[in-house]
Amino acid sequence: MAPTKAPAAPSSQNPVVLLWKAYNQQTPDRLKFIDAFLFFLMLSGIIQFAYCVLVTNYPYNAFLAGFASTVGQFVLAASLRSQVNPQNKDEFKEVSPERAFADFALGSIVLHFFVYNFLG
Amino acid sequence: MMSRDRELHVDVDDFALEKPVRLLKTLMYYPLALLLLAVTAQASVLTLKSPRFVVSDSTGNQLRAEPTASPVKLGARESLKITFQVVDKEDEKGVQPHQTFIRFYDESTGEEGIQPVRVTPGGKAKFDLNLSKPPLYLPPTSDKPLKVSLIIGTPNYDPISAQLFDLVLPWSQPAPVHPDEAVFHPRPELQHTFRPEQKVPNKFISLVFSGIAIAPWFVLLGLWSQVAPRATGLFSPSILPFIASLGAFEVLLFTYWVKLRLGDVLLYGGILGVVTVFTGRRALSSIAAKRTQ
Repeated sequence: MAPTKAPAAPSSQNPVVLLWKAYNQQTPDRLKFIDAFLFFLMLSGIIQFAYCVLVTNYPYNAFLAGFASTVGQFVLAASLRSQVNPQNKDEFKEVSPERAFADFALGSIVLHFFVYNFLG
Repeated sequence: MMSRDRELHVDVDDFALEKPVRLLKTLMYYPLALLLLAVTAQASVLTLKSPRFVVSDSTGNQLRAEPTASPVKLGARESLKITFQVVDKEDEKGVQPHQTFIRFYDESTGEEGIQPVRVTPGGKAKFDLNLSKPPLYLPPTSDKPLKVSLIIGTPNYDPISAQLFDLVLPWSQPAPVHPDEAVFHPRPELQHTFRPEQKVPNKFISLVFSGIAIAPWFVLLGLWSQVAPRATGLFSPSILPFIASLGAFEVLLFTYWVKLRLGDVLLYGGILGVVTVFTGRRALSSIAAKRTQ
């Protein structure tokens, strides 16, 4: 497990910068791994939506498949992250992290199946 | 008639029959021959005696008399009077027919109006058309002439349907159109308008946006290179089969997109799912055991 460091002394800096620093210092590496994936999914979804709005929605089913894949995967990964986070252990007493990962894997496979179906 | 009798006899003589049967056949045809004789003997011809028609205006002055072939024009307040007598052609005796009609027919629209004419038992008939009180049986009129004809029918006489003259009446209201009239004619052809075909956008724009869409992958790889957790246990024998079956699932789905059909992918997916369940249980239980240690 990645070690958690003590928070740095508060200063008169921008709260956003403070938040970023706290996040960087306190989040374990595994969660950061998942966070990077979430950030990637969000970027991908925004870009696809912007293309649909700006240029064309010509193969409409393709747009729907791509956009739905990013949104669905985002939901699954976010639920995995919240269930795997050791600080949430009290919230998810009957769901072990392994169970969470199995759910994530199954959900992802079903999502991919439907997305490939719709992709055309 | 005599020729008809001769034909009948010829028919019978054609067959080489015994004498009594031949006689019987002749007797059978005899009533038919008698009937035909009766019909042609009684067919008589009617004719009209002293037909006269008069057009007079509202005050009674005669404007036109004597029948003529050219169209008769009738003004809004004038009246037309037709008188005649129906007689048998041969003995000039008056006949009261069962049916006597005057028919006004408009050829251009196909409308017609028919009015029975009163005939006395002596055969005298009188027909009056007064336009200051236009009767209801007149068809709708325009500037096209109406053909006026006389129709007489009675038993034992040949029927008469004789064109008398053309009549031009003042304009009337047109015939009312039935509300369902449009249903009985071909409707106007429907022109469907379809949505125009959607076209693929400009190639350069497509390429640019494809590049932009792939960019997040590089962002992801960059971020992951910074925070990658240690993957020590990834290739241990308990965990690797699980990863391999997950990878196989992804390969199966991609192959489904490219060439498989639904039944195939469900079948292979089912088999692979069973395998994955077993490998997954092994992998995850080993990780759980390591975590709780």
